[in-house]
Amino acid sequence: MAPTKERPKPFLIPKYCKGCGRCIEACPQNCIMLGKDIQPETGLTPVILNLEKCTGCGMCIVACPEPYGLAPSPLKADYELTDPAAMFGPRASDAPEPKEIPDKTIPLPQLKPMVLKGTYASTIGALLAGCRHFFGYPITPSTEGAELMAKLLPDLNGVFMQAVSEVATINHMYGCGGAGLRSMTFTSSPGFSLMVEGISYMIGSEVPGLIVNVMRGGPGLGNIGPEQADIKLACQGLGHGNTHCIVFTPSTPQEMLDLTMLAFDLGFKYRNPVIILCDGYLGQMTGMVKLPDHMLQPGIPAWAVYGDNMHRRNLINSIILSEQDLEKHNEHLNQKYATIEANEQRADLFHCEDAEVLVIACNIPARMSKGAVQVLRSQGVKAGLFRPITLWPFPIKLLKPLLSHVNRLVVVEASNCQLENELRLALSHAGAGHVRIDHLQHYGGILPQQQEIVDTVKTKA
Amino acid sequence: MSKVIYRKFERHSHGEGIKGMSTHYCPGCGHGLAHKYLANAIEEAGVQERTVTVSPVGCSVFLFYYMDTGNTQAAHGRAPAVAVAHKLANPNAVVVAYQGDGDLGSIGIAEIISAAQQGIPITVIFINNAIYGMTGGQMAPTTLMAQKTSTSPHGRDRLMGEPMKIAELMAQLDGTVYVERVALFNSKERIKAQKAISKAIRLQVEGKGFAFVEVLAECPTHLHISPRETQKWVAEKMVPIFPLGVKKDVEKDPWFSLPAPNFDTQQMSKVIGASSEAEPRYAKGFPSHIAASDIAFKLAGSGGDGAQTAALLLTYAAIVEGFDATHIPSYGPESRGGTSYADVHIAKDEVLSPSAPSPHILIAFNTPSMVKFAPQVVAGGTVVYDSGVIKEIPKLNANVRAYGVPFTEIALSLGKAVVKNIVALGALQAATNLFPPETFLNAVRISLKEKCAMIPVNEEAFQRGVKSCQETGAKK
Repeated sequence: MAPTKERPKPFLIPKYCKGCGRCIEACPQNCIMLGKDIQPETGLTPVILNLEKCTGCGMCIVACPEPYGLAPSPLKADYELTDPAAMFGPRASDAPEPKEIPDKTIPLPQLKPMVLKGTYASTIGALLAGCRHFFGYPITPSTEGAELMAKLLPDLNGVFMQAVSEVATINHMYGCGGAGLRSMTFTSSPGFSLMVEGISYMIGSEVPGLIVNVMRGGPGLGNIGPEQADIKLACQGLGHGNTHCIVFTPSTPQEMLDLTMLAFDLGFKYRNPVIILCDGYLGQMTGMVKLPDHMLQPGIPAWAVYGDNMHRRNLINSIILSEQDLEKHNEHLNQKYATIEANEQRADLFHCEDAEVLVIACNIPARMSKGAVQVLRSQGVKAGLFRPITLWPFPIKLLKPLLSHVNRLVVVEASNCQLENELRLALSHAGAGHVRIDHLQHYGGILPQQQEIVDTVKTKA
Repeated sequence: MSKVIYRKFERHSHGEGIKGMSTHYCPGCGHGLAHKYLANAIEEAGVQERTVTVSPVGCSVFLFYYMDTGNTQAAHGRAPAVAVAHKLANPNAVVVAYQGDGDLGSIGIAEIISAAQQGIPITVIFINNAIYGMTGGQMAPTTLMAQKTSTSPHGRDRLMGEPMKIAELMAQLDGTVYVERVALFNSKERIKAQKAISKAIRLQVEGKGFAFVEVLAECPTHLHISPRETQKWVAEKMVPIFPLGVKKDVEKDPWFSLPAPNFDTQQMSKVIGASSEAEPRYAKGFPSHIAASDIAFKLAGSGGDGAQTAALLLTYAAIVEGFDATHIPSYGPESRGGTSYADVHIAKDEVLSPSAPSPHILIAFNTPSMVKFAPQVVAGGTVVYDSGVIKEIPKLNANVRAYGVPFTEIALSLGKAVVKNIVALGALQAATNLFPPETFLNAVRISLKEKCAMIPVNEEAFQRGVKSCQETGAKK
């Protein structure tokens, strides 16, 4: 190749050279040598250019690993120039300021109630909420939800993907949620355990997404009976670091649909994943479900990394090296958690207004508890049911005022103190830890029955 | 300088001082070159505006400091999973996953294999420098035999396995269209590396498939030798184990496209099976002659008896009549053959506990179900059973009436064994007068609206169940 006059020679701002010397062998004319002078700013020794014989072949530029290392010399400039702006131009990124593409609410005609099992109700709620991306890995007793998604999504031009594992599932959701779209998964306890690392990344990066966990018996492989085995994990153990998600605990197929829709709204409102905990019974249980009067066509949030120019400036990321910056980020997350705690506590109160003893239960055990409270009332016991619909944040604002007339709480759950511990923590933070707490617990797929609850309330009184 | 590299690295220590225009890499590291070639390739293809770069964990975790594209940083090993989802979220995006050898070849081996097999068009740049860089020089899946690292201080030996040849592995998988291994240690190889990365981007832009470039790179810091010696080491030690060149290059027609998600309300109603049409009601009121406000049922048989379908029809029928109802199946391994049983509740206002340990009504399809559940039926309750199969009635609670109807025989006489559960529902109707026959028949017709040809035989089965039960009457 004969040198031509147009081919620019290289130039180098020495402080951007780390002296690796790749360019030395690359130069066929031996124009480049190892330097001797240490750069005071970097402590490194840049190469020295002697371009008398340079043909402008450019091989040294191809060899230089530093973006602002060896570069073609601008016309009429000489390589001793050291002002980066003069050499590289003042251009910052020309990516535009990202703007939100808003969601659209679309009215639905009045539709008659459907008869759906819990996982199906959640599936249909997700479709109505605008979710068109499902990622999941089959696990009993959650799989029917995924199967229905696989069946229905193609007809809505959506994407169903069976992931290689739950670990991959949650990272697909990280990607899809990071792109600003609504995605979800169904899983069950062992699968949920595998997802918690990814949930921590989602929280750290502020990526929304819905995880519906149809809880089963544990620990380990346990069994596939209904348990409330993952309350601890969902409320206090979402992977490493300072993590919280809104945790919903529906108790009917209707709530599976309603809370699924709400979960997407709140997930995007707060830029945080949301968890729905239901037990194996509720996942499998069929019941009546009324449909909403609207569905949603989601837009794209301003923060998304959608893969278009509008969102090019954005970054989805949870690594923040500087201690000060990471502390600031945690303070930001704490503020978000505080806002959620202030605004999103939800509970269903049944005969609580004059109750002296409150049964506290969620999911299917709350249904048995409701029956028990009716029986107790008919026997003259002033019992009420306090059913948390959010477990994080625990609805302590709704519970605390009742403690003026309630002298005892009876926690009914299908786990070993996991619900009770959430209650105790909330009471303690609220300065109301003095109230007496009894409990009725079952594990392994056995749910507390109505008569047992009645007996527990009466015998422990 | 490629315009795909930020003019100032604002994310690198806030762009202050020399870090604003200098990478965080050690002198002699291969990452800077791979970044540069990637940026050039994106610029050449004219896709900067729609590119999403997925940064990995490892030294190149900070790829997002440099790339003026959309950026997502993925957890250790998960970049392919994240990248595939970005592509599915926006098929028009050009998605690049950039990974090192620990990230891709060890912790993320499942994700890369499944993504490559699936073949959704993304571009993966794989940096193989035979060592863990960020964590401080530990053994990588690609560390050479006898190579000393901080976790193979005596040299990699047979217990630790042979170095993993990722490019060859990728070429084996069906979804890849292009796999090449390149290197950075001299001008000739660097030109090839540039071309390979450009091609890998271009194939994605053309929608042809999953493209993979393995780059043999230098890590002088953890090899404890100079940058120039490291280049020599790569050429002399790595290349014999990891031969350079194209491992796969298949011509495929562009295939990848996804339609825009549908948000049409009519399509939505159709897809979820919702309807505005009101269902007719036939019942005069809640069947309080069975229980005051909540009736519990158990339907039990073998897998294939249709107990679950009958339970769902019962639930559906009750809800259409304006009552609350629930159904819980037994599920899991035991529902794959063996016993299959269902609990149903029908309540005037609200079903509380959905389980039915003491049912008012049992429908039993086989002897084990009869033996297990009939004694649990509450006093005054009803058992409806397949009298062709169940020959003995266990001891029942007081005033429990048992109605034997040959479900299976009747179904077989109709030429459809599968309708025995509908025979059972007919028998249930006749035995209990739970709802009028029309309530059940309506539920059957609706459930079969997509298999209309099956409606007459099901109606016949129901009527035969009713008739047989009426003829036989209850056994005390």
